[in-house]
Amino acid sequence: MASIDIQDIRKSFGTFSVLHGVDLTIRDGEFIVLVGPSGCGKSTLLRMIAGLEDVTSGDIRIDGRRVNDLAPKDRDIAMVFQSYALYPHMSVADNMSYSLKLRRTAKEKIASAVGGAAAKLGLDPLLERRPRALSGGQRQRVAMGRAIVRQPKAFLFDEPLSNLDARLREQMRAEIKKLHGDLHATSIYVTHDQIEAMTLADRIVAMHAGVVQQVGTPLDLYDRPANLFVAGFIGSPGMNFFEGCYLVSGDQAELRLANGVTLPVPQRAGIEPGATATLGIRPEHVVLDAHGALEAKVDLIEPTGFGIIMHVSIHDVPMKIFTLDRAMLDPGPAVRVDLPQERLHLFGTQGQRVE
Amino acid sequence: MTLAAHPHAVRPLRKRIADASEPYLYSAPALILIIAVMLVPLVLGISYAFRDIQLLNPFSGGFIGLDHFRALGEDQAFFRALRNTLWWTGASVFLQFIFGLILALLLDKPFAGRGLAQALVFLPWAVPSFLAGLNWAWLFNPVIGPLPHWMHALGILDAPNNILSDPQLAMWGPIAANVWWGIPFFAITLLAALQAIPRDLYEAASIDGAGPVQRFLSITLPFLAPTIAITILLRTVWISNFADLIVVMTNGGPADRTQIVASYIFTQAFKRLDFGYASAIALVLLVLLLAYSMLIVLLRQTLLNKG
Repeated sequence: MASIDIQDIRKSFGTFSVLHGVDLTIRDGEFIVLVGPSGCGKSTLLRMIAGLEDVTSGDIRIDGRRVNDLAPKDRDIAMVFQSYALYPHMSVADNMSYSLKLRRTAKEKIASAVGGAAAKLGLDPLLERRPRALSGGQRQRVAMGRAIVRQPKAFLFDEPLSNLDARLREQMRAEIKKLHGDLHATSIYVTHDQIEAMTLADRIVAMHAGVVQQVGTPLDLYDRPANLFVAGFIGSPGMNFFEGCYLVSGDQAELRLANGVTLPVPQRAGIEPGATATLGIRPEHVVLDAHGALEAKVDLIEPTGFGIIMHVSIHDVPMKIFTLDRAMLDPGPAVRVDLPQERLHLFGTQGQRVE
Repeated sequence: MTLAAHPHAVRPLRKRIADASEPYLYSAPALILIIAVMLVPLVLGISYAFRDIQLLNPFSGGFIGLDHFRALGEDQAFFRALRNTLWWTGASVFLQFIFGLILALLLDKPFAGRGLAQALVFLPWAVPSFLAGLNWAWLFNPVIGPLPHWMHALGILDAPNNILSDPQLAMWGPIAANVWWGIPFFAITLLAALQAIPRDLYEAASIDGAGPVQRFLSITLPFLAPTIAITILLRTVWISNFADLIVVMTNGGPADRTQIVASYIFTQAFKRLDFGYASAIALVLLVLLLAYSMLIVLLRQTLLNKG
């Protein structure tokens, strides 16, 4: 087990810059999730830690040792690939023991390591099979087994659940979490799925366009998103945003939208009166109240079974509401809503959070 | 509830005949084409083997049973040609494969000018075989070609002689031309197979600690194996039937040292104009190659089932 230190890592392919200086410290035994949309550089960062991509500039240290110029095999890490990358011509047992054989580990040690990993992952009955005779979930398990037999310093996961169907993904997610609970191995997990990020991570690293947007616990990112990108990326259905002009009169502050509607907002010192600001509120925090201050026209109802997603508009500004109230399946042409002050997020002109 | 009874109790005869012949009518166009284009010439050719057909003898053409095959059993020139065929085919296929594989591995790695290199590598394939044969015959000719002098300078030859006229070495001439001409086939097919191997397997192996040799043995080779089997099968059949280079470069000589079965057939048919005997030899070659192909196909099948 080990800590991983990343200092001002940059990566360019030719003149095209992918990562613009990433700093990150991962503590021993921590489960870190790198999350962001496609092309944000999260996979590139992971592959640089693994040694599969060269570092353009900056330092990567594993347990204090600089590994920039070490070959992947000398970094003592294991990686689980999105495609699983199982060796198709080897049995499950051979797939799992390949790395140990290459390191000339004693036969008995290999057998016990493979046996232990197989027992942990429920692979015992499959050890003699070839990968192509396995289902997607089983292949996924073998890929993890191959990683854990070596007891590496760190596990790297590159979107390991993306090729599975929704049900299996949920199940494997829980298994990965349980496995991490057992092994306490330092893990870096790349995904574009924010549910995986929220459920698995000790800390989430939200990335966008090659820049780290926020690092924090899942609830940090949910409750106090650092900027508009994180606010919009974390949470489903996504946060509602209203852009307008921040105005203060006396001890009251309000946001005047382009169509003239004003929404009362809490006063914040970090933003100049008259500046452009964005108000955010999560769909699940909008309160449906017959005596609410705002009238909202109902455009569309999406029942999910568990709850209801309502698409409404306030003077033609669209908004989503998430409610568990079954009565809202047939709400009529309009509803009244309140936007509770303590649930509002305010973002300044540059999209940064203001307190 | 009862089902409707006897839907086809009485059907007119014409309808029944039409129904029965339906599948044959559907497949008839393909079958007729195959019979006309492939089977008829094949059967005709085979039938010559049992007839006395000599172009210069107007009274020939009668059925003579197995006489050609009896003659063949005592024809030392034929057995020498058979041995030469083994040597010619084995050496050509092996060298073409090895150099083709090396080329494919080199071309699989990105480097500046790879597109041009690929185009150049595949060029020999586009050269007509007769032209290739002539070209190599000249290269081996000490009067106009540089190769004998180079080989003499390197100490491979005692004197800058033409190896095509040396009974001990003559076969290497056509083999060299054949290797040069046939490398692109292996390079193209193996390169295509190489590029179909998922890159992340190599990445996983490099993390697992496999060096270049181990990566080649445990990933590249197993992935290439089916392609290797099928290309070697194809090329073996092809090359053992391939007399162009030999006819152009040595014409079977000196002293029949480079005569292979295919060129022997050519000699019998077009020099001695004995079509019957040539057909008999061709039939033997056909049977041998069929047996060989069956063997390889079976081998490949068992390998694939195991894999």
